Amino acid sequence: MNNSAILKTLLASDKDIIIYRNSEKNNFELYTDFIEKINLNINNLDKFLNKLDKFKAKKKYDCYIGFFGYELLCKNLNLIVNKDKHAFPEGVFFRPQTKIVIDSKIDIFTKSKLDLIKSLKTLKNSKNISKNKIKVSPSVENYEKIFNKFKKNIKAGETYQIKIAQKYSNKKDLDIAKLFFQLMKKNLSPESFCIRTKEFNVISCSPENLFKVKGNKIVTSPIAGTVSRKKIKSTKQARQFFENNQKEDKEHNMIVDLERNDLSRITKPSSVKIQKLKFVQKYQYIYHNVSDISGTLHEKVKLSQIVKAMMPGGSVIGCPKINTLKLLNKEEKEPRRIYTGSFGYFRSIKDMSFNIIIRSILNFNNNNEVFVASGVILDSTAKNEYHENFLKAKSLLDLLK
Amino acid sequence: MKLLLIDHEDSFTYNLAHLLSSFGKLEVKNYYDVKESTVKKSDIIIFSPGPGKPLDYPISLEIYEKFKTKKKIIGICLGFQLIANGEGGIISKQEKIFHGYQTYIRTNNKSLRFPNNHMYQVGRYHSLKLKEPFDSSTMHITMRCEETNVAMCLESHTNDICGLQFHPDSFLTPNGKQFISKIIQFKK
Repeated sequence: MNNSAILKTLLASDKDIIIYRNSEKNNFELYTDFIEKINLNINNLDKFLNKLDKFKAKKKYDCYIGFFGYELLCKNLNLIVNKDKHAFPEGVFFRPQTKIVIDSKIDIFTKSKLDLIKSLKTLKNSKNISKNKIKVSPSVENYEKIFNKFKKNIKAGETYQIKIAQKYSNKKDLDIAKLFFQLMKKNLSPESFCIRTKEFNVISCSPENLFKVKGNKIVTSPIAGTVSRKKIKSTKQARQFFENNQKEDKEHNMIVDLERNDLSRITKPSSVKIQKLKFVQKYQYIYHNVSDISGTLHEKVKLSQIVKAMMPGGSVIGCPKINTLKLLNKEEKEPRRIYTGSFGYFRSIKDMSFNIIIRSILNFNNNNEVFVASGVILDSTAKNEYHENFLKAKSLLDLLK
Repeated sequence: MKLLLIDHEDSFTYNLAHLLSSFGKLEVKNYYDVKESTVKKSDIIIFSPGPGKPLDYPISLEIYEKFKTKKKIIGICLGFQLIANGEGGIISKQEKIFHGYQTYIRTNNKSLRFPNNHMYQVGRYHSLKLKEPFDSSTMHITMRCEETNVAMCLESHTNDICGLQFHPDSFLTPNGKQFISKIIQFKK
């Protein structure tokens, strides 16, 4: 079997896989043959993070790759969250023994190629669940109620910016790997990934990196500001739109200061710098306004401190983070699960990358769910934001049709 | 010099912490677990920004009351409002809300720490403001917003207290450190 045939058979099999886009190299990395799978909860989280402090990957395929869910990250900040009726795993990390780099040619790094080939026997059998109408929660009426409550909270200074999440869901059997590459053709986002397991599946075209650590340098690239490509035709026009739009501009300022703050918790004094302020990125249906902020990590920084300082990522929550999370968890009824959590890999305390899980489909318990959120703005109406959300979800909802 | 920054769980507190850390040994404590012994050992107490209004933080108000004649006290944003509240001021909602704004402010001749009639560009994050008239024999409004005339700085003429409604810690305040430096170097 040549490498390309191995990959093809692997994708068609029912083996657990994770695919993560590497935007620096402009390719995809597929991980499989997991020798460890750690289900995280609030009781074992610190132990896991402390273990990773000492971990150093030596082989090309070695790393811990997985996600921290929203509810786990809230609990990590001592916040109360809604209970999940279906007990979705709050966080899962895998340790692979095979990595396949998918580029113009296919490279395989593995502990044993023979074992890999032998493991590819099982072919997936499709369940063919008939497709179902897409449901939305909360309803327009409930969304409006929450929206107006949060407006009052803003006027009273209890939050400066808050983002309400909305859930779209349906039932349909998905061919995860196939759909992922289909999505990548249309909407190649820098932080795209997919997780295929027997328990649950995720397809994501997340555009947002939460942080990258290389050596003792940490960089975060928050997104704040979205505009439809229906209205705006070029990157230059988008640039002007973000500059002239008071609401988008102020929101972005707030997130820049929030991220500077979060980095300041774990970095050397005066090392936090704005590398690039407010630049435009183009996607399938939208433009985003992004900034890059960096800092030099404290010498003896621990992974648990980095996670606590940075997660959940502020740009998708609001500001100030703690009180805004409290307000959100009080009003939102649906567990967010992976949404606004973080996915990424860890090779050592000096080499890791985590994103913010947005623009994602979670397939769990025979159900597909897509969350999107938008900010509560004093001079905007609930109905406006409700429809704005649909736009953000569109490229994913296309896949569920 | 020992500095104690009382954090009201804001998402801007550590920007301030980085500014302060060059002036001495800095300790950051959550508002709900500050011990009086820690406050006593500190030379400067700094009240951080934070969500809500001064009355949401009775422990911080109590610390202010106890130490206002004994220590150098600095308040930023909510911290400014805590000082105002401690001096009998009322904190109320404002017409236009300033979150993430960069505006001009101007000093007046009551200031002991900053040059008179000087304009600064500053970053702001506040829904609430100090309601006026504000009558105090010891505390003076020494900076105002150019656009709305809202109070931006409170300085005491009898004690070593200074509050800023804007954020010297924000990237929207060019050279924000100079504000902290002038307040810390000021001697009564």
